[in-house]
Amino acid sequence: MIRLLKILEFALSSLARRKFKNFSIIVVYSFTIAVLASVLLLTHSLKKMAMDVLVDGPDIVVQRLLGGRHELIPTDYSGIIEKIPGVGRVQPRVWGYYYDSLNHTNYTMLGIGEERQRFVMVDGKAPADDDQCMIGQGVAGAQHAETGMDLLLIDGKGIGYSCEISGVFKAASDLWTNDLVLFTSDALRRFFAMPDGLATDITVEVFNAREVPQVAQKIKRLLPDTRPITIDEILHTYESIFNWRSGLMLTIFTSSLIAFSILAWDKATGISGEEKQEIGILKAIGWDTGDVLTLKLCEGMVISVTAFLVGVSMAYVHVFLLDAPLFVPVLKGWSVLFPRFHLVPYIDAYQIIVLGFLTILPYMASTVLPSWKAAITDPENAMRGV
Amino acid sequence: MAGTIQVERISKYYNRNRPDEVRALSEVDLTIAAGEALAVNGASGCGKTTLLGLVGCMSRPTSGSVLLDGRDVSRLPERFLGDIRRRTFGFIFQQLNLIKSISVLENTLLPLYPGKLSMKEMKIRAERILARFDLTARAGVKVSRLSGGEQQRVAIARALIHQPQVIIADEPTAHLDSVLAAELLDILEELNREGKTVLIATHDPFVSNHPLINRVIRMRDGRIVD
Repeated sequence: MIRLLKILEFALSSLARRKFKNFSIIVVYSFTIAVLASVLLLTHSLKKMAMDVLVDGPDIVVQRLLGGRHELIPTDYSGIIEKIPGVGRVQPRVWGYYYDSLNHTNYTMLGIGEERQRFVMVDGKAPADDDQCMIGQGVAGAQHAETGMDLLLIDGKGIGYSCEISGVFKAASDLWTNDLVLFTSDALRRFFAMPDGLATDITVEVFNAREVPQVAQKIKRLLPDTRPITIDEILHTYESIFNWRSGLMLTIFTSSLIAFSILAWDKATGISGEEKQEIGILKAIGWDTGDVLTLKLCEGMVISVTAFLVGVSMAYVHVFLLDAPLFVPVLKGWSVLFPRFHLVPYIDAYQIIVLGFLTILPYMASTVLPSWKAAITDPENAMRGV
Repeated sequence: MAGTIQVERISKYYNRNRPDEVRALSEVDLTIAAGEALAVNGASGCGKTTLLGLVGCMSRPTSGSVLLDGRDVSRLPERFLGDIRRRTFGFIFQQLNLIKSISVLENTLLPLYPGKLSMKEMKIRAERILARFDLTARAGVKVSRLSGGEQQRVAIARALIHQPQVIIADEPTAHLDSVLAAELLDILEELNREGKTVLIATHDPFVSNHPLINRVIRMRDGRIVD
């Protein structure tokens, strides 16, 4: 143990001797890790937050298809679905999009029924009457609006529509409310000029989560023009989207990976004559191969672990304190009104460990292998740099 | 007494079986008794340094054997040789082979890092040996900033700090003035009196004629001729 500590001390002084070179390596190495870790942390956090929201959502969403495209669904389909054994609440939903031509943004418009009491992250209250609405932070910002003011929109018939803003969602719920405008279902149906007896889709609750696929099959059998989408399919789609986007990010930042690989390769393909001579000297005065490798392992470990910790810390600050300004346009969504929310720091330890293995081990190998080659050479040759 | 070295018919070729092959040593036999002080004389390129390197397990002979206290060390795997070098030999190289970017103290301590001494004990020992070579005031100075003579003294201090049984010195007075050369030989004589084996390659008659030296051998073209 004393021997190891002494060699570690020598390794630190050895690193300090080449401080500019080692500092440069740590900077490049940390940046590479920070980029990779940022993508992983951001993707995982977004996925986790989205999943947390979705798992509280309906077990099945039933859409009607016409010519393979989404079509309004008759509300009386809900009566048929309700009769399927194991089915709980069945709720026709009215929702859609509104293009704000002044701000060149899309809002998500959602009609609410009985669930209006469930909103908690609101400054104000949920719309109680048909002439009230509740908006997200993004909409409030775009419209310079706040609780108590009127929101002016153009309805489906091209006529001006005004509603009182009864509440504004808090920033903490931005991920899913930023571009949202909530009305009562009746008000929204009128706004969209949607015929009575039709809804955008129907949500279905199933008492036993294991029966969701069977219920979905029964709905499809009973209503062949519909497409029941289970919560698992929605979760899977979200996961695929985030994975695809993080893959895209990783591809974009492959250049930094390549730069780092070149650096590692440069180290792997050989050590300088000076370093070889040093190894030869150490061997000649009594260090054995194991001591030299311990020294080089310590040096490599100090650099790679430092760079890893700095890189992951930088990623943490970038993602969770600064809200990932570098990657957010790609990873958060396609809306013009990007959510301005603070990500909850969900960290997948497995991902971080894998990242550690994928970055620390190659560097360690690239440090130790050439030193090992020099260390097994006769000291006389190593001192001559052969 | 430990420190007996037997060299049996060793030959050393560099760049073997290539157009630029060099035969540095040819079937050399030599026995150095424990506690002996031997000078190896000869012109440059005669094989003195190669012989010292083989004796000190710094390289391997192309043929023949080197026995240390009766044990053939020339065929041992490299992983055992570090320990043998550390426990047995103290080298003073012709080219000094100091790490120039670190301090006098750090260079001097180098052979002790793999040993069992604590850092505190190592530093006490280093302070003593640096004082012996009048280097105390230069302990924190980088070796690259020392004069040739000072560097030579650092190399000697480093070779002696781990109290080796055999001291191997290749042209140890090459960078020293006559006063320091005499001092060095006096120190080596003192160590020899303590029972250390001393092997010196030199073409300096001052060294060969010093009372320290018990025996002088002469080399030419890779062979012992006298």
